[in-house]
Amino acid sequence: MPDDVAGDHPVDVLDAFRRGADLSHGELWLRYFELGGMSTGLELEAYLFGALRPSRHDHDVIAHALNERFVELGGNHPVPYADDGSDSDDDDAAAAAT
Amino acid sequence: MVVAGDLPLSDFSVGASFAGNEVVLSLTGEVDAVTAPEFGAFFETMIDRGHGAVVLDLAGLRFMDASGLAVISHGAARLAAAGGSLQIRTPAALIRKMLELTGFSALLQRDGERDLESVLAVASGSSGLAQDTRHFTGIYSGSEAVDGALRLAVTLAHAVVGGADGVSVSLRRLGKLSTVAATDETISHMDANQYETGEGPCVDASTEGHWFHAASLDDETRWPVFTPRALSLGIRSILSSPLRVQDRPVGALNIYSRTPLAFTQSGQEMAALFATETSSILKGIETEVGDEHLSLRLRGALRTREVIAQAQGVLMERDGMAERAAYAALRRSSLDDGSPLQERAAEVVMSTRRSQFRPDDDRA
Repeated sequence: MPDDVAGDHPVDVLDAFRRGADLSHGELWLRYFELGGMSTGLELEAYLFGALRPSRHDHDVIAHALNERFVELGGNHPVPYADDGSDSDDDDAAAAAT
Repeated sequence: MVVAGDLPLSDFSVGASFAGNEVVLSLTGEVDAVTAPEFGAFFETMIDRGHGAVVLDLAGLRFMDASGLAVISHGAARLAAAGGSLQIRTPAALIRKMLELTGFSALLQRDGERDLESVLAVASGSSGLAQDTRHFTGIYSGSEAVDGALRLAVTLAHAVVGGADGVSVSLRRLGKLSTVAATDETISHMDANQYETGEGPCVDASTEGHWFHAASLDDETRWPVFTPRALSLGIRSILSSPLRVQDRPVGALNIYSRTPLAFTQSGQEMAALFATETSSILKGIETEVGDEHLSLRLRGALRTREVIAQAQGVLMERDGMAERAAYAALRRSSLDDGSPLQERAAEVVMSTRRSQFRPDDDRA
């Protein structure tokens, strides 16, 4: 089953978080790649600006890269995840059930 | 006879009129990083269709940056390789704008309006820019805009620095010098001979970060292996100025002449100014400093990815999770105790020996 897209999650605010985290696009890509992200730098930028919609998984890898940065800066982890575990999660739950 | 009308391509358009083998492409609007690929595709299509004589009429352009120049350079090189010709009809005002964008206008104004006009004449004449762009050789910096700006830099240095018969830009990447822009093949060979022998003004300027002037190679003793090679290529004097990024030498601007004692005091000052402006172009690209840092970072990143993938494998095998679920579990675990995901992943991998990690705790 292909990845679900990130649905209504506000992908277009990701770039605002990136700026808030004081990360360049290149630096964020490295962190995203480090966490297992598979998209290219160009795709990542497209996700950040909302030109392309990332899969839920990709969205969450980006969100986590940003959150780890915010924690480094002494903050909380403000970036919401597409899969926050609070609702019955189609993607993971369905996959886990197989 | 006009065959094709205006083709609307976002912010700019191309009109094409054909007369036999010749095609005149009239550009209107703006060529920038966004529209340059469309311009390039159109230009390339005309070359693909076998039009050997291409005229680019830029009079209708309001704006063009270095990415447009890069397209023109590529097209010119292809045409030259196929025995074709490129003519550019460029209003001086446009060249002026390009110079402004690449930071060269301040440089040229220092030398007075007369020189600026002569540069404009060279750069906008059909045997000027068109002729010069045909000879551009060398590797690419990885950025079309930077490549275009560097080509413009060597073209202008060639036109402006008195005594210059050829100009190149060398950059050190991953410990090796290579030529990023050169005005012709001989100049590329001059650079290559220095890389091969590990000596010469270009190598020294790139390494030591100050300029090297070989006023007359006939009397030169500093580079015993390289000097005879240079003389055999007809070069008699060389001026290499260091290019610096963040105060570290990353390459050199090399100016070659077939005449001994070609570079006067004012030529040397001009060369130094060009080197400064070229350095400022390079700020936009990763040179050795960035590359080495990047490769170290990538090595670390690959190691981290491995550990995360291993941890996912452990969770999949041990707890029957799907791949994505295993990743989500790691992520939540990282979030819950505020430690980086890679540390949690490392713990999971270690737990195959110690059996301590309980991902179910984190899913509660």
